[in-house]
Parts: sequence; structure tokens; C-alpha cells
Amino acid sequence: MRRHKSGFEQMTNTCGTAISVAMLCLGFLLGHAVAQGGGELRFCLRTEPKTFDPLKVEDDASASIRYLTGGVLVRVNRQTQDLEPGLAVSWKVSKDGRQISFRLRSGILFSDGTPFSAEDVAYTVQQLMDPALHSPTGDAFRSGTGNVETNVVSPSQIVITFPAQVAGLDRLFDQVAILSQRSSKKEMAVLGPFMVADYKPGSSVLLKRNPNYWKTDEQGRKLPYLDSIHLDIQPNRDVELLRFKRGELDLINSLDSEYFDKLAATSPQVVHDAGASLDSEQLWFNEVAKSPIPNYKKNWFRSASFRRAISEAINREDLSRVVFHGHAQPAVGPFSPANKFWFNSKLKPQPYSSDAALKALQDEGFRMENGTLKDKDGNEVVFSIITNSGNKYRERMAVLIQDDLQKIGIRVNVVTLDFPSLIERMTQTFDYEAIILGLTNVDLDPNGEMNVWLSSSENHQWNPQQKAPETAWEAEIDRLMRAQASSSDPKKRKEAFDRVQEIVVEQEPFIFLINKNALSAVSAAVQGAAPMILSPQTFWNAERLFVGTK
Amino acid sequence: MRSLRWKIAGHVLALVATVLLGGLLSATLVRLAPGFDTDERELDPHLSAESVQALRDARHQDHNVFRFYFSYMKRAMTGDLGTSLALGQPVRTLLRDRAPLTLRLLAIGLALAWLLTLTLALSAAWLRLSVFDTLTTAASGTFLCIPAAVLALLSVFWNAPGALAIALIVFPHTYRYARNLLVKAYSRPHIITARAKGLGEARILFWHVVPVVTPQLLAVAGVSVSMAVGAAIPVEALCGLAGIGQLAWQAALARDLPLLVNITVLVTLVTLLANSSADVIGHVVRSQEV
Repeated sequence: MRRHKSGFEQMTNTCGTAISVAMLCLGFLLGHAVAQGGGELRFCLRTEPKTFDPLKVEDDASASIRYLTGGVLVRVNRQTQDLEPGLAVSWKVSKDGRQISFRLRSGILFSDGTPFSAEDVAYTVQQLMDPALHSPTGDAFRSGTGNVETNVVSPSQIVITFPAQVAGLDRLFDQVAILSQRSSKKEMAVLGPFMVADYKPGSSVLLKRNPNYWKTDEQGRKLPYLDSIHLDIQPNRDVELLRFKRGELDLINSLDSEYFDKLAATSPQVVHDAGASLDSEQLWFNEVAKSPIPNYKKNWFRSASFRRAISEAINREDLSRVVFHGHAQPAVGPFSPANKFWFNSKLKPQPYSSDAALKALQDEGFRMENGTLKDKDGNEVVFSIITNSGNKYRERMAVLIQDDLQKIGIRVNVVTLDFPSLIERMTQTFDYEAIILGLTNVDLDPNGEMNVWLSSSENHQWNPQQKAPETAWEAEIDRLMRAQASSSDPKKRKEAFDRVQEIVVEQEPFIFLINKNALSAVSAAVQGAAPMILSPQTFWNAERLFVGTK
Repeated sequence: MRSLRWKIAGHVLALVATVLLGGLLSATLVRLAPGFDTDERELDPHLSAESVQALRDARHQDHNVFRFYFSYMKRAMTGDLGTSLALGQPVRTLLRDRAPLTLRLLAIGLALAWLLTLTLALSAAWLRLSVFDTLTTAASGTFLCIPAAVLALLSVFWNAPGALAIALIVFPHTYRYARNLLVKAYSRPHIITARAKGLGEARILFWHVVPVVTPQLLAVAGVSVSMAVGAAIPVEALCGLAGIGQLAWQAALARDLPLLVNITVLVTLVTLLANSSADVIGHVVRSQEV
């Protein structure tokens, strides 16, 4: 029996249909607008990318291109700092930390249409671990001698076995962009959201949307939204700022505090201060026994009490306020509080007190004579701080430290050198007394700094390449760093590295000064941007950015 | 004709000798510069000891400057100019990619500089107005006092083309010579007589002034090329222009021996070619006058 619809029902149905059609049209239009009109994002690379081969990346510009074009098995979420699935849907690290197995997504294509499979992962890992490659990405996996074994279980499953345990093994794959074994385009066939479409040496790199990118958004629309990214190679930061102000650029990464304030004065809505970054600036003394500096100075520099007193006499709040216009935090230790998991929250910033510093030095036999500090043998306490010329922030910090130490009778000479000369003194001739430099941390995991903390390593800068640890505390750091690297239990690793941080703060081989804030600028035209402290700050979610209005 | 051939042969010999010596001097200077043995990448904490050693070994290959230069010359004969240590790319590719921009910049910069020079110098010689002369002299003096880097930065700030900065760097040098030459030529008795007799200015210029000043102006033109090449380094580096000047700046900072030697040889070659060409053309003009 047919039932006639009432007028109300008919009206409701008609309205419902109309609303549904309207919603569908709106959805289609929105989707269309985003999918077809994501626009072009423009920003600067500060150096020429040295390579487009993701396995050979060693500079920031190449790393940015790798981030935008490379498909990785797992990705560290720059917001939560947690590991998320990428090309791998799941993964498992063995208890001994030597083996990792990945289950891969299926039906994925490289940008040139070549299918992706476990064979490509095996190929990439074998290429990466070639000892002749000398790549920082590959070296991060090297913890023992021997070959890496790759076992392709099926097209979507692979097991990789390393010769020795690799701490934080799964997180290291965030940097490994998968290459195609079969594509004739080699590294230009990519699995990331964008692909290199054009490169004008010294001038620009054009990235276009990868039509085969596998990710979709919550509404099922294909990512990325952007049509292209235009990367101008521009080493001059003044030019970069001018072009941003003129609307020719959409983003500035790692903005200088001075430029941040200039921009904030005119366009406060475009600047972002994400808080303390992972990067640190530090001062250290030359503790190398064979260095060509007088023995009495070596004795000062090798004394923990002397280093602690110097640290106490430095007003870090002033460094932050005067040099960085408040866009920096007094540093606590080796890791910044921005590193949520690994930072030792028990550590507190060194309080500033020139009186306490002077008293500590007097307790060690130093004495003040006519406003000049002298050691117990009557030598005037005077030393030089070198830093790299052209870095105005380090030059200004050195001058402020010079003022601070003058208050306790120490005379400091500030010398600036160009970078190659400074590196030569630091790593080969050891002809220096103190240095101010910075550490750019890209890794959250302390394993990335093994070569800094192990006494035998090249980058143990205050006293590198020790045949055997020269001090008990360095021996203890060596033991703890090796212990954390050989454990797969995050809790035990954290306990070991917490103790390392405590020893470093007690002994002050590095006098950590400040952690710079992560500053950036994003044009109002860019939608979806949420700058973070982790690199790449502003375009970490490039696949979800778009330029213009939806 | 015979003397012209001898002159050209002498220039070619001097050019080859100077280029070879310039390249060797450049290599020696870079080799002796502090920090030659180092590579910024050594500070990357991710690199293993073996990788750091590999970086050092790569630099050690160039330790003996004479051996480096000899092998460089040998390779250069076959067209292989070596590989840049800092950029990791063949020097030949780097120079080929960046040469068009620098050549365009130099051509436009020099054209603008000479247009300005000749316009103002001729006006000064024609008009003989002390106010005009004072103004143009003051303008050229002002640009002479402003460092090239400041002019480059101003061009960035005002969004002006880099070629204009080069023109303004070269102009004050060329203007002083050109003005003096033209004023002197116009004050010659036969030109004063010609003017008094009512000969047209164009005829005086092209028949009586140009032939007299051409050899000297050509010599200044040759020197202005080397000035423009020198100016291209700060202009390209500060304006972010991807030319050979910027490459030279980067190579100097990175102690990039293969790249620096090649750029030195190239710049020496361009400068000498410009000077020698000016000299030979001047010789031809003078011999035609005789």
C-alpha cells in the first residue's frame, strides 16, 4: 500500500535533498579549491644544496629538500616528538636492539610510477651503510664493525639486522628517505609529498606536488595541498627579510632575534616565538695537555673549581636580554628543556653571583691585587676567547662575558676568526684558550651526541681523542654513554643520561650559556602553519600547508 | 702590420705567463691561508672517526702546492678543472652555470657606467660650465668614497639591479679620466678655431675629438673591465646573485683550492684580455692616424 507523504514530510525531504546537494557541492568546491589551488609556497635556502641524494645529505639546504621530497618509514612528529608510521604501518625493534622489522604499506608508487616494496628498503639500507659513502645519516647507524643484513620476508615485510646494538634505532629512520631500486631516475624518484621539478644552480629549486603521494587528509583528499614550493637560494639574511616584507616570500625559518623584533614592530601577526630550541651556545676552555699554551693556564682550565667560578660569574639573564632581546633562555645543561623526554628536569640554571664566584676562586688560592685577579704563583688571570667572525650574537656574548669577568678581576681578550681558522685551532693546532661556539641539535636522542661526550672521540672538543679518559668524571661519562647506548630500555637509558647531564653541570667542561628560542615568520597568506622548535620549524607539516584562502 | 703582429704575439706570451703565474700564486696563497686543512663538516657529531679522517685525507691530497698545480694543469689540458671541495660539484659545471649571470651583470654594468661617463664628460667638455663641472665632480667623488659593499647593500635595499651598483662603482674611476681627456681635446687650438669658424659640434666630435682620445679611452675601458670584475664579487655576494663573484666569495671562505685557482685564472684571463685588446685596438687606431 502506498502511503502518500504529507506536505510537511515532502517539504522536509525536499529541504534535506537540497541541503545534501548543497553540502556535496560545497564539499566538492572546497576539495577542488584545495586540491587544485593549494598555491605556491616560497621561502629561502641559505646555502646551495650540495646534493639531491638523500643518503649523502650533510648540509641544512639538502636536509630541507630531503624532508620535503623523501618518503620515510617512520617520522618523528615535530609537534609531539613521538614516532609515527610513515611508509611502514608498524615496526618492532628486537630486545638486543640490533634488529628492526618493518611491515610496509602496499600499493604505493614512487613519483615516477615505479612501485614501492621491501626491496627498495633493502637497497636503500645497503647503499646507506656503504662504508665509502661517509654520510652522517649512515654513520649514525654505525655502532660496531661488520655488515648490515637485510632480509626481505615479503614485498611488504623486511627485517634489518645491524652488527651491534644501535640505540634509538627506530627514530634514526626518520632521516632515511627510501630510494627506488628499479627507477632509472635514481634519487629523483621520490616517495615524499613533493619532487624536484627544476634546479637553477645558485639561484633556486622548484618542487612540485608528487602526484603519487600516498597520504590523504581526514576528508580523504589527496595531500599535499600545495601545488609547488619555490626555494630561492639566498645566503644574505637582510635580503631574505626584505623580500619577506615585500611579500615575495612566505616563510623565514630560524629568524634572528634582531629581525624578529623588527618584523614584530610592524607585523606582529607574522612572527612566531616557539620558545627555547634544542640549540645551545657554550663556552669552553682548552684542556688539551699538548696544547701550546702556558702550563699555569692549563692548570686553571683543567680545574673544575675555576670553570665553575667562571660559569657563576657569567650573567646569563643579561646574555638573553641584551644579546638576544629576550628570545633566549639561560641554558641549564647539555640538553634544552625543549627536549621533553631526555632533559633532566632536576637541573636548574646556574645562578649568577660574581661575589660567590670570586670567593670560590679565592678558596682555590687566587687573590685579588689592585683589581686584578692573580693565581697562587702570582700570574695575572688573563685569557682570550675566540669565536667565529661575522656571528654578531657570539661576538656580543663574548663582550658581555668580558665585562662580567672584569668584575672579578679577570682580563679577557675577545678575538674573532673566520671559521676555517677557528676550526684549525680547535681541532688541529689546539692554539686557543677559550672558545664560544654553538651546538645545533637535530636529534632528540643523546646517541646523536656520542661523538661529543666520549673522551676518545674527535668532537670531545675541550680535550679530544684521549687514548684513555684523563679524568675520573670523563671515564664515568664514557661508561654511562656506552651504557645508555647498549640498553633498549628507555627508562634505564634516561637514568644513565640524566647522570651524564648532572656530571656535565658539576664539572662544566662546556659552560652552557643560553638556548636560543626557535623564531620564525610566516606570512598571513599561508594557512595551516604551526611553527615548532624542531627542524624544519615552519614547514614540518608542508603537506598540509596551503597559500591563499580555502 | 709586422709591428702589430709582434705586439699581438707579445701580448699572448705575457697573457699566458701571467695566467700561469697568477694561478700558482693563488694556489700558494690559499694553501698557506690559516684553516686550509680544515673542513666545517668535521664538527658534525654524527660523523664517525673514519669519515672525519676521509675528509682530512681529501684535503691532504692538495698539501704540496706545486704537485697540486702541476696535476691541475695536466687535467686542465684535457678540460677537467677538478671538483670543488666545498660544493662537491665539478668546477667546470659551476663556472658554466654561473658565467651567464656574471657576464650579463658586467656587460650591463659597464655599458651603464660608460654611458654615464661619456654623457657627463662630453657635457662637461661642451658646456664648460663651472657649476656643472663642480656638480659632476662632486657626484663622482661621492661614489668614489662609498665602499662597493655599501653600494651593493643600497641596491638590495632599494630593489635596484646589481648592474646599477657595478655601474656606480666603475663610473667615478672612468669619469675622471674621460672628462680630463675630453676637456683637454676640446681646448686644442685647431678645435677652438674650428668652433670659432662655426663647424658643427657633431663634426668636431667625430672628426677631431674622437680620433685623438680613442686610444686613451680604450686603455681606460680595458682597466674598467678589471674594476667591474672586482666589483662583481661584493655585489653578487651581498645581493645574493648566483654568479662567479658569489662563487669566488664562497670559495675564499671555504678555502676551496680547486675552485679558487680556477676563478683566479679566469679573472686574470678576462682582465688581461680586456687590457691587451684595448692596447692592440689603440695601436691600430694610432697607426691609422699616422
